[in-house]
Amino acid sequence: MTFLYNYIYYIGCFGLVFIGLYIILVKHNLIKIIIGLNILDTGVNLFLISIGYIKKGTAPIFSNPGINPNRMVDPVPQALVLTAIVIGVAVLALALSLAIMVYQHYGTLNLRKVKQQRW
Amino acid sequence: MRKIFSLIILGILAFGIWYSLKNIPFATHKTKVGKYYVYKGIKETGATNIVTSVVVNYRGFDTLGEVTVLFIAAIGLGAILATRKKKKRKEIEKPSLILYTGCYLLFPLILLFGAYIFIHGHLTPGGGFQGGAIIASAFLLRYLGCPERKINRKASDATESLGGLIFVLLGLLGLIVGGYFLLNFLPKGVPNLLFSAGIIPIIYIAIGFKVGSELAGVIDNLIEESK
Amino acid sequence: MVNPVLLIVVPLGLAFTVPLFGFISKKTVKYIPVVAMGFNLILSLLLIPRVLEHPLVLSIGGFPPPFCINLTVGPLGILLSAVIALIGFLVSIYAMDYIRKGSVEKYQMLYILLLVGATGAVLTGDIFNLFVFFEILCISSYALVAYFGDSLGVEAAIKYLIQGAIGSTFMLLGIGLLYGMFGTLNMADIAKNIKLQNSIPISLFVPLALFITGMGVEAAIFPLNSWLPDAHSSAPSSISAILSGIAIKIGVYGVVRVMFTLFGMPSIFHLLLFIGIITLLIGELAAFGQTNIKRMLAYSSIGQIGLIVFALGIATPYGISGGLFQILSHALSKALLFLAVGYMIYRTGSMDISTFQGIGRKMPLTSLAFTIGAFSLIGLPPFIGFPSKFLIVRAALAKKEGILFIVLIFLVLFATIIEGAYFFRVIQVLYFKENKENQDKKDAPFSALVPLIILTVFILFIGIYPKPVMKLLRLASWELLNKMDYIKWVLGAG
Repeated sequence: MTFLYNYIYYIGCFGLVFIGLYIILVKHNLIKIIIGLNILDTGVNLFLISIGYIKKGTAPIFSNPGINPNRMVDPVPQALVLTAIVIGVAVLALALSLAIMVYQHYGTLNLRKVKQQRW
Repeated sequence: MRKIFSLIILGILAFGIWYSLKNIPFATHKTKVGKYYVYKGIKETGATNIVTSVVVNYRGFDTLGEVTVLFIAAIGLGAILATRKKKKRKEIEKPSLILYTGCYLLFPLILLFGAYIFIHGHLTPGGGFQGGAIIASAFLLRYLGCPERKINRKASDATESLGGLIFVLLGLLGLIVGGYFLLNFLPKGVPNLLFSAGIIPIIYIAIGFKVGSELAGVIDNLIEESK
Repeated sequence: MVNPVLLIVVPLGLAFTVPLFGFISKKTVKYIPVVAMGFNLILSLLLIPRVLEHPLVLSIGGFPPPFCINLTVGPLGILLSAVIALIGFLVSIYAMDYIRKGSVEKYQMLYILLLVGATGAVLTGDIFNLFVFFEILCISSYALVAYFGDSLGVEAAIKYLIQGAIGSTFMLLGIGLLYGMFGTLNMADIAKNIKLQNSIPISLFVPLALFITGMGVEAAIFPLNSWLPDAHSSAPSSISAILSGIAIKIGVYGVVRVMFTLFGMPSIFHLLLFIGIITLLIGELAAFGQTNIKRMLAYSSIGQIGLIVFALGIATPYGISGGLFQILSHALSKALLFLAVGYMIYRTGSMDISTFQGIGRKMPLTSLAFTIGAFSLIGLPPFIGFPSKFLIVRAALAKKEGILFIVLIFLVLFATIIEGAYFFRVIQVLYFKENKENQDKKDAPFSALVPLIILTVFILFIGIYPKPVMKLLRLASWELLNKMDYIKWVLGAG
C-alpha cells in the first residue's frame, strides 16, 4: 500500500511517456504520430510537476500576508512546466502545418509511402 | 517485427528509469532553491504569487526564450503555408441566428475575462500565457460562429512585434539603470495591491497581448483553407 | 562597458522589429540580419581579450548565482560565439541575393532567431536555459528546412521534426531526473554535487544517457543521424551552410558540456571515442557512393562530426584543442563548399554531379572557391584543415594506450583517403570534362562572391599562421578539463 502511495504518480506519468513513444515508433499515419508526440509531452510535463509536491502542501500564493510558508509546494517545477508546455505547443503547430503540406504534395498521410529520397 | 523491437527498447528504458526513480522520494522537501524563493520571494520582488515571481523575475530569461519560441512557431507556420495552393471557396451553410448572436455577445465577455487573468498575474494564479490563450479562444469562437468576420492581419502582426519589443526594451532599461539585465527597477509597493511588484505586471500585460494576437494569427492561417 | 548579454539580446530585439520595418518598406528587410550579425561579430572580438584574462560570470536579474540564471562566458563560449557570428554574417550577405521566392521577411526573422538560439546555448550556465535556447535553434531549423515548400523539403522537414522532438523530450526527462536528485538547475551547482568517482552508478548514468541521446539527435552521431542527409540536401543552400556549419556543432557542444563539466568522470570518455570512429566511417563510406552533390556534402558533414567527437573523446589538452580547432576549420570549409555549390546548382538547374561538367571554365571564381574548400576539408597543407587534423593525430599518438590507438589512427587516415577520393572526383568533373551545354553560364553575382572571398582569405590566413587561435583553443580546453575551476568561477570559493 505504501509502495502504491509512493509510486502511483510516477507510474502514471511514465505510463503516458511509454504509450507516446510506442505510438511514435509503431504507427504509420502522420496524424497518429503527432498525437503520440503530444501524449509524450504531456507525460513528461506531469513528471516534472510531480517532483515538486510536498505532503499536504498548498499553492505558493500569499493571499493573506500571514500565511505560513512552511507547507508550500516548490514553485520552480511549475515555472519549468509553463515553458515546456509552450514549447510543446510550438512543435505541434509546426508539425500540423507540415502535415498539411505533405498531404498537398503526396496525396497520402502514410509515412511509409512518403519516401522520395532514399540512400 | 517492428513492434517487438520497440517493446524491447522501451523495456530497457523503463528498467533504467526505475533505478533513477528510487533516488527521488515522493512528496518530501528536496530543494534549497525552492525554499529560498518561497521565503524571500515577497520581500525581493513584491509579488504575492510566488510562481509569477519565479517565472518573470528570477528565471525571466527562460520566459524571454519561451516568448521567442512561440514567435518562431507563428512565423514558421506562416512561412511554410505561404507556398500552399489556394483552394476554391466551398459553399458553407450560414449559421443560425441564435448561434450568430450568441457568439457575437460572448466575444467581449471572454476578452474581458482573459484580460482580467493577465493583469492580475502577480496576485492570483494565472499570468500572461494563460490570459493570452483565453483571448485566442475568444477569436476562435468568433471564427467558428460568425464566419465572415476575420481579424486584421496587419494589426495582429504589429501587436505581436510590439509585445516582444516591449519585453526586450524593459530588460535593456534594467541593464542601463541598474547594471543587470531584467532588474526589477520600478518601486515594489505594498504587496497584494494591483500596482505593486515593479515591472512584473507590465511584462505580463505585454506577454498577454503578444500571445493572444499570435495564436489568433495561427488560427487565421490554418482556418483559411476550409473556407 | 560591453556586456555579453547584448550578444543575445540585441539580435533578438532586431528580429522583433523586422515586421515593423516590413510595413515601412520591403527592401530594407534583407539588411537587418547583416546589421545584427555584424554587431555580434564586433562585440565578440572585443570581448576576447577580456575573457582570456578572467572569465565573466553575469547574473540576470541581479540575484546571486544559484538562485538565478547566469551567463558563464569562458574561453570556449566566446570562441564558439565568434565562429557563429562570423559565419552568420557572411551567409547573411550571401542570402541578400539568393533568397527571392517565398516570404522573404519571414526567412530573415527565422534566420536571426536561429543564430540567437545558437549564441544563447553556448553562453549560458544553467541547464534549463540550455534546453530553451536549444529548442529555439531546433524549431527555427525545422521551419527553415521546409522554406521552399517543395516535396523534398517537406518530407525532410517532417522526418527531422519527429526525431528532433523525441530528442528534446528525452533531454527534458534528463533535466527532470537531475532536478529531482539534486534540487538545483545551475550547472556549477549540479557539478558540485556529483562527486568525481571512478565508476558511475546507474542512477547517474541514466540522465547522462538521456542527455547524450537528446542532444545527439541534433549532433548527428551514429544511430541518430538518419535525418541529416535529407534535411541538409533539401534546404536552401544558405541554410545548408548554417546547418552544417553551426547547428550540428551546437549539438556537439551540448554533449561535451554535459559530459565534461557536469559529470566529468574519466571512465565515460571511451564512449565518445567509439561513437566518433563509427560515425566517421559510416559518413565517409556513404559519401563515396553519392551522385547528388548536396547529399554527398551532407554525408561528409556526418563524417567530420565523427572526427570531432573522436578528438574530444581523447580527453587530453591536445586532443580537445584539436577537436575545437576542427570545429572551426570544418565550419569555415563546409560553409564555403555549400555557398559555392548553391550558385552552381542555380545556374545549371540540377544537383547531379554529372551536370557540372566543364563549369570550371565558365564560373571560374566559384569553382576555385569549391576547390579550396575541398582541399581544406581533406587536410592539405597551406589551408586550415592541415593544422587541425595534424593536431588530432598527434594527440592520439601521444596517448600511449597500446594497440587500440594505433588502430584508431589508421581508421582516421583511411577515412581521409576516402574523402580525398570523392572530392577529387568532383573536381575532375568540374575542370577536366567538356560539355557543350554549359557554354554560356555567367559567374555568381557580386554579393555572393564577397563572402566566398572572405572565407577563402580566412582559410588561408589561419592555415598559414595558426598561432593567435592556438592560445584561445588551449584555454578553452583547460576550461573543459577542469571541472573544479568552473565551479569556483561561478559559485565563489568551491
